[in-house]
Amino acid sequence: MDRYFFLFLKMNVSKWLEAHTDRSANLITLPRNAILADISGTGDYNLVITDLKFKTDNKSRLKTFRGTILISDQALPSLPNSLISFFADRLEPRIPVVGVACGSEVFFYKNLKPFYQFRVPSCPLIDHESNIWKEIIETKQFDVDKMVESLKEIPYSNLSSRSQQLLTEYSLTKAEAFIRKYMDSIPVKDDTITCMITLERTSKDKTSISCPIIATEFSNIYILDPQNFSIIQQANTCNTAATPFLIRCSGLYDVEFRILIATREGHICLLRKGWLEGKSLIQLKSDIVDMVLVPGDNFIVVASVDKIIQCFTKRGQRLWSSEVNSPITTMCLVRLEHLSTSLVAIGLKNGSIQFYQGRQAVDYLSIADSPSVIVFGQLGQEENVLVVITAGGSISFKILKRTAEFSNVPQESTPLIQSKPLPLPKRSKLFLEQSIRERQHALEIHQTFQQDLIRLRLTAARALIQNLTDQSGIGNEKEQIKLSAQVLGLGPKFTIVLTLENINPTKPLVGLKVTFHVNPLYYILSNYVIKIPLIPPSLSFKMQIKAKEIMEESGNEEQSNSNAIRVFVSRQEFSIPVLAATINMPPTELIA
Amino acid sequence: MGLFQKLVNLLGVGRKEVNVLVVGLNNSGKTTVVNSFKSEEDKMTDIVPTVGFNIEKFQNQNLAFTAFDMSGHGRYRDLWEHYYKECHGIIFVIDSSDRLRLVVVKEELDLLLQHPNICQKSIPILFFANKMDCKDALSSVKIAAALGLDKIMDKPWHISASNALTGEGLQEGVEWLTQQIRENLNVKH
Ligand SMILES: Nc1nc2c(ncn2[C@@H]2O[C@H](COP(=O)(O)OP(=O)(O)OP(=O)(O)O)[C@@H](O)[C@H]2O)c(=O)[nH]1
Ligand SMILES: [Mg+2]
Repeated sequence: MDRYFFLFLKMNVSKWLEAHTDRSANLITLPRNAILADISGTGDYNLVITDLKFKTDNKSRLKTFRGTILISDQALPSLPNSLISFFADRLEPRIPVVGVACGSEVFFYKNLKPFYQFRVPSCPLIDHESNIWKEIIETKQFDVDKMVESLKEIPYSNLSSRSQQLLTEYSLTKAEAFIRKYMDSIPVKDDTITCMITLERTSKDKTSISCPIIATEFSNIYILDPQNFSIIQQANTCNTAATPFLIRCSGLYDVEFRILIATREGHICLLRKGWLEGKSLIQLKSDIVDMVLVPGDNFIVVASVDKIIQCFTKRGQRLWSSEVNSPITTMCLVRLEHLSTSLVAIGLKNGSIQFYQGRQAVDYLSIADSPSVIVFGQLGQEENVLVVITAGGSISFKILKRTAEFSNVPQESTPLIQSKPLPLPKRSKLFLEQSIRERQHALEIHQTFQQDLIRLRLTAARALIQNLTDQSGIGNEKEQIKLSAQVLGLGPKFTIVLTLENINPTKPLVGLKVTFHVNPLYYILSNYVIKIPLIPPSLSFKMQIKAKEIMEESGNEEQSNSNAIRVFVSRQEFSIPVLAATINMPPTELIA
Repeated sequence: MGLFQKLVNLLGVGRKEVNVLVVGLNNSGKTTVVNSFKSEEDKMTDIVPTVGFNIEKFQNQNLAFTAFDMSGHGRYRDLWEHYYKECHGIIFVIDSSDRLRLVVVKEELDLLLQHPNICQKSIPILFFANKMDCKDALSSVKIAAALGLDKIMDKPWHISASNALTGEGLQEGVEWLTQQIRENLNVKH
């Protein structure tokens, strides 16, 4: 509170003009029961509201205002629950249809005259209940007590209204008379409308044709054709028990749309084009009061009974939450097209309205008492009018000043979670063609890949063998000696050239000898031990020995590993060699 | 012969160029008012909401009137102030049946009166409480009170109820304005 007070002192001048307030209007209405629509098609927008009367002898009314003046007041058949307006056709002048939901019916008005009545389909009875009534219809006999007892086995809310009424009859005689009266027909279980909204059909302009969407007590969602009011899509709210009470939508019916349904169980369910059942997107811990969708980002702003406002992305990730100082009664989207921004007006029980731009409270209005409904839009000729009806029955009209700006307030709307999707490149035509090709020729592509992989491995193995047989690069890191050998000749006489390298850049090598070890049955060497002179740092010593293969007809192949000459480099006084290597001798190529 | 020309002939002011600025909210009837000043042959039959502004001229042997008929739509109201400097008189048209927007009229009038190019000048302002034929129309007295016109001390002002469709009340107002402008011109010479 202090913060707003401070903010208020700083701004001092209100951004709103007080156009008109009537404290004795005596209007009783609820959220979603006020709309602004050009009902006569003259460009002079009207305010249409329902005025609720809860006493049975007093009918609720549908009231229409031109500017601040009441111009029409008609009785409604029963308690209204929500109000919509939409364009149903392209006839000139463009006159929208106003729809009022009362009980299981929607009454459609054009030019303030009722012209169509839509009834939501009734629900099938529970088997048990229909059996009870069927039996009475067939036998024409009944026992009131027994019947009441068996009806009581069914949960009260699942009964038809006729059975419910029967259970509330106290006296036996009255109950009997009641049953007799309805003895010839099976009762119907009416479905009650709980909320409505409209969804644009093909385009998003101010006068585009929209479809009414209706949600009911028994969790049904109906999308109606705006011209003939037939049901064009029907779905269930959620796969779990859910009672819709508030519905919002975005998108276009013909293209793609998202319907968000808030339920009394605290879920927000998502329903999309073609779905037969919605799915729960968000679950709140406390009861939902109101919900708005902020256009553009399609953020979902939800108010709950615990005085908390939360904002979610369209995928249901929570971006921020904020607590207000008084219970929230209603919310309203304030679209400011001339400023290209949208605010969310939050009506509080203490008689104030807070305006949020993103997560920031940017403005504040004080009104007579707790607002029961807030609407914002064009009224008369003025585009930015805020109409507030309060629980105390007052109505007040406020106009946003032309010079009002909200952008000078420092905006830290950076969401807690990165809401933007990863910057994936656009799917190019090439990409699409490639993926189609991959799907069609999966087997060939896989086989070609495997062949190439095997070839690669083979090449790698060959290179390794090559490297091993090169007989170079054997060394001892610690002693910093490297030995390489080279075999020259075709056989049976070979020359072996050995190079001993001192890779130590500072110390010379001293006191080394090289010993050769062969199977004397196959090879005879010119020299078996060679004493190595001093090898200065970074230099090498080359030596040469002759080997002669003993050619024998048999046995040569059997001991294949015997055609190897082992070389040991050792220090004169130690028995453990410093370096050991094996020279694989090539077979003698016999020239025929 | 147009109303303006008749008047001009009658008053016989010297060959002078006179600019009048016609302002007021959109749909108040500014273009309709200006249209009824024009000679029969120049009159428009179809009046549509003005975009930006229109310039209408009335020529007379003694006096040339140039009326700047501004658009009253919210997004064009910023344009008004650009013509404050050059104008010799202001016609402020009010839709007297639009009770809702009377606060907006007051707001725009206050902005106009506070403007540096206006607040120094003793420029005559003529108010037309237009659409007096409408059922919900407020009287010119009520409108004057709602707008707080009695607080304008440093400028001559006048309000007349009018019906721009029939021309009723326009003559009275314009007579007053012409008189004021002529006085101002005479003082300068
Ligand atoms: N009943 C009635 N209608 C009027 C009167 N004067 C103008 N109108 C109507 O009001 C509407 C608006 O008139 P315009 O002259 O276009 O209004 P404007 O002030 O020029 O409007 P913008 O150009 O949008 O600022 C038209 O339909 C006129 O026919 C009047 O005295 N009485
Ligand atoms: Mg105009």
